[in-house]
Amino acid sequence: MSAGGAATSRDVVIVGGGHNGLVAACYLAKAGFKPLVLERRPVAGGAAITEEIHPGFRCSTLAHSGGPILPRIAADLDLERHGLKTLRPEVRVLALSPDGKHLPLYDDPARTATALARHSDKDARRYGEFHESLGRIGRMAAPVLSMTPPSIDDPEAGEVWKLLKVGKSFRALPRRDAYRLLRWGPMAVADLVSEWFETDLLRATIAARGTYGMFGGPWSAGTGANLLVQAAIDPHSAGPTSFVQGGMGALTAALAAAARALGAEIRTGVEVARIDIRDGVATGVVLSTGEQIGARAVVSNADPKRTFLKLVDPTDLDPDFLNRIRNYRSSGAVGKVNLALSALPKFQGVDGDGKALLAGRLHVGPEIDYLERAFDAAKYGAFSPHPWCDAAIPTVLDPSLAPAGAHVMSVTVQYAPERLREGDWKSQRDAFGDTVVRTLAEYAPGLQSLILARQVITPRDLEDVYGLTGGHIFHGEQALDQIFTMRPLLGWARYRTPISGLYLCGAGTHPGGRVTGAPGANAAREIAEDLKRAR
Amino acid sequence: MTGNNNSYDAVVIGGGHNGLVTAAYLARAGKKVVVLERRHVLGGAAVTEEVFPGFKFSVASYVVSLLRPEIIRELDLPRHGLEILPLDGTFTPMPSGDYLWRVNDHYKTRREIARHSKVDAEAYDEYGKAMIEMGRFVKPILSMTPADPTSRDWKGFVDLLRLGRRFQHLSPGDQYNQVQLMSMSAVDFLDQWFETDVLKATMAASGIIGTFLGVRSPGTAYVLLHHYMGEIDGAFRSWGFARGGTGAISNAIADAAREAGVEIRTKAPIARILTKNGKATGVALETGEEISARVVCSSVDPRLTFLRMMDPKQLPADFVEDIERYKYRGSSGKVNMALDGLPDFKCLPGPGTHLRGAISISPSVEYMERAYDDAKYGHFSKRPYIDIVIPSLTDPSVAPPGSHVMSCFVQYAPYNLKGNWDEQREAFGDTVVDTISEYAPNLKSLIRHRQVLTPLDIERDFGLSEGNIFQGELTLEQLFFLRPAPGWAQYRTPIRNLYMCGSATHPGGGIMGAPGRNAAQKVLSDWRKGKVRG
Repeated sequence: MSAGGAATSRDVVIVGGGHNGLVAACYLAKAGFKPLVLERRPVAGGAAITEEIHPGFRCSTLAHSGGPILPRIAADLDLERHGLKTLRPEVRVLALSPDGKHLPLYDDPARTATALARHSDKDARRYGEFHESLGRIGRMAAPVLSMTPPSIDDPEAGEVWKLLKVGKSFRALPRRDAYRLLRWGPMAVADLVSEWFETDLLRATIAARGTYGMFGGPWSAGTGANLLVQAAIDPHSAGPTSFVQGGMGALTAALAAAARALGAEIRTGVEVARIDIRDGVATGVVLSTGEQIGARAVVSNADPKRTFLKLVDPTDLDPDFLNRIRNYRSSGAVGKVNLALSALPKFQGVDGDGKALLAGRLHVGPEIDYLERAFDAAKYGAFSPHPWCDAAIPTVLDPSLAPAGAHVMSVTVQYAPERLREGDWKSQRDAFGDTVVRTLAEYAPGLQSLILARQVITPRDLEDVYGLTGGHIFHGEQALDQIFTMRPLLGWARYRTPISGLYLCGAGTHPGGRVTGAPGANAAREIAEDLKRAR
Repeated sequence: MTGNNNSYDAVVIGGGHNGLVTAAYLARAGKKVVVLERRHVLGGAAVTEEVFPGFKFSVASYVVSLLRPEIIRELDLPRHGLEILPLDGTFTPMPSGDYLWRVNDHYKTRREIARHSKVDAEAYDEYGKAMIEMGRFVKPILSMTPADPTSRDWKGFVDLLRLGRRFQHLSPGDQYNQVQLMSMSAVDFLDQWFETDVLKATMAASGIIGTFLGVRSPGTAYVLLHHYMGEIDGAFRSWGFARGGTGAISNAIADAAREAGVEIRTKAPIARILTKNGKATGVALETGEEISARVVCSSVDPRLTFLRMMDPKQLPADFVEDIERYKYRGSSGKVNMALDGLPDFKCLPGPGTHLRGAISISPSVEYMERAYDDAKYGHFSKRPYIDIVIPSLTDPSVAPPGSHVMSCFVQYAPYNLKGNWDEQREAFGDTVVDTISEYAPNLKSLIRHRQVLTPLDIERDFGLSEGNIFQGELTLEQLFFLRPAPGWAQYRTPIRNLYMCGSATHPGGGIMGAPGRNAAQKVLSDWRKGKVRG
């Protein structure tokens, strides 16, 4: 079966060593195969990496919080033994307010309610119920994350059974929750939070999570679904705050260690030029060096567009399928700014050294309208003049990332559209960075004076450097028509592709983006099944 | 009837087209029915009024979209005077001096589109075919009682399975389109087919009418279907004007109802719905007169029905919460003008058949989206989307010879305005006239009279809460089994013998009559099953 003369040959070749590729490698190795992971960049990890942004300053270059990785996966792969240490601050989010009346959202909802009382008694009372309800819905939906989406045309008995089980737990929900689940999905998250709360800051902080990674604002219908997906991953109303000792790179390092321990091989600095296809069957990959590697299964951790439009010869695909892949929406809206700071910034209204309050994520985006206006700019091809910032100062909990007393700040910024109407990202990079720093400085005066170095990552960089088509951090928009049985495409949501022997295992498959490992684990399960059948 | 016998099988609240349809069907089943209308005219939002001497306007709703063919047949509406005149095409003037003119003749339209883009002309055929397939899938859903996924009873479950089966039987391509239609934004959906901006903008416009959404808001694609469902209603042309204005439709239905024995009273505003231990027993008019009935059907919106005409304390708290949360958020206004002549469009001068269809001010997708942005922050659009019709060209009976009536549907005009509609009414009217004048400069000189209806006016005049022309937003979370409230989408209410039959129930707004007909069938089946007990 070897792909041409001197080619080496493998059970499974995984294109791309992102967290999902590594998770897939682990599970395939556990299943008794010998996966080979090929990573283009010098480090494995994809979008979950830690890099030095300034001598002595290390930072989670892209994602700064775990999804988090599904507990089942962390346990299966024994990630703690391989060095994973998760940091969970008591304050999940500190919602910054221009008037200094910040709102901490604690891991403990009761403490959050107490803090809320400063803003609104009504909201303080309602918060508990919202938190519980979202939690129940999230826990009910959680099993879906580890499911292979059923095939519409001929559901197999196994899946029907799984679905019925989910259906059963759906029916077991209190009826109010069942209706909420059905209503919230298609809703605009702005409406959702307004039904519960009156405090703008709280509304905006929760609503923002519904737009995370999306090319949509809080008034965009369907952002409710994004909030529900998040709840399934981490059933907490404040959203996930799951840092990793050593930055997100330490997570993928643990995954890589686990994979190697299980017998997988990982090669970095090798770029796959194309996927070899003979008579509609994937037979291996060809590296940019010309080296050929044969495989019984080729698994792409790259996003669907990159996989089918760049790595596969279009003549090997049905035109309808190609057309739908072209129409798969993956226009990103996220930029990233990483700062090396000489000291911990002083935020107005945060007393003392503030470390307790600053240990979690920092939310900048005080009102729904603020967030929506930020999105408006992106609609017309400009980055937000006043962006939503989801920031973290990981050095508060993990001093090892920076020299003593110094800090790093990691800022996820929305919105930064893939294509700018005026100028291009090369010329706008600094303007974008300045806008973000200015926005943060409104809450932390003097921030500029602490900045030793600044790394600005534009959507262009996300595509060119990190291989995310369109700069979309989720490998494609997580809209209602691109999730579950429709991710990436209706009829091809089961990790298989029209090319036999070619599989997808990245965030472009169910259950989508965020650092959970679920797509990789689900894909591995399906691939192992096929390979065993073929034996 | 006479005052001394004030007891009926059914009383219908509101003489809008749905209320009249419900009444007609109940009477045809042998029930003794009375319809009570607050205003002096019937029709609710489907009404023709002589606003200015000699000028008759379809004051609110102005075109017939999806009036269900089965209703037209079963009530024999043509015999009762319904005559639909074709509304031929949509004319979109462009600032560039060019225009897009789509007509009902597919091949003419194809040629016109080819003028803008050869690729789009070809896509247009494919698009039409796909849409018709989708329409076939969706149409039966309009006349079905929504199944409730949370219901414990098997029927609901089976109904859902049946839906799933029908979906399974679609071709993969159609499944794909269907899923996209139900969830995507009109623009995202159209982007996959077309490249011509003005074409996408004009088509997408149909996706936002009556909603507080923009052409880029997910969930707006679905409404694109309605256009095609209108066109495939076969022999009967569903898109058009009613001769004599939209009110003629209501009058035809009313006529059919009367023939079936329905008694119709106008200027009969209702103070409250009478209940006795959890059962509706009739209504009390504002005059104090009481009318008793075994069944009360309300065609007015849920806010009026449950929060104004009833004491919410009689209702389950959860239900009241849902009704209070049900979104109206009127987003459109109406400007009706009496003209001394015809507007002269720079891009296609002189009178012509392009004025006989709809004239759409929707030059680009960005224009449409920016109009929405204004509304999001509480202002009416500086440059709004306007859908213009000049019915007097097709139906001379509505205006004096040589004169014309022009009615402009305008979006966005948010009910919740920063400021006060009573003070901004004329400014709003001026914005509309100025916008149109940019394309037809002679308009100002033609205006003899102008009537401006803000969402606030629509609420006051037509009893539509927050001026929403569909009795509540047609957004995904307010459709099907969620309309108007989860668990109460089957025309029943928590009060026994009280039913809903208006646009706030499935399948929603527009001159369809489907809610009225579906509700009547539910009432009658409950009656047969003995669920209607005095």
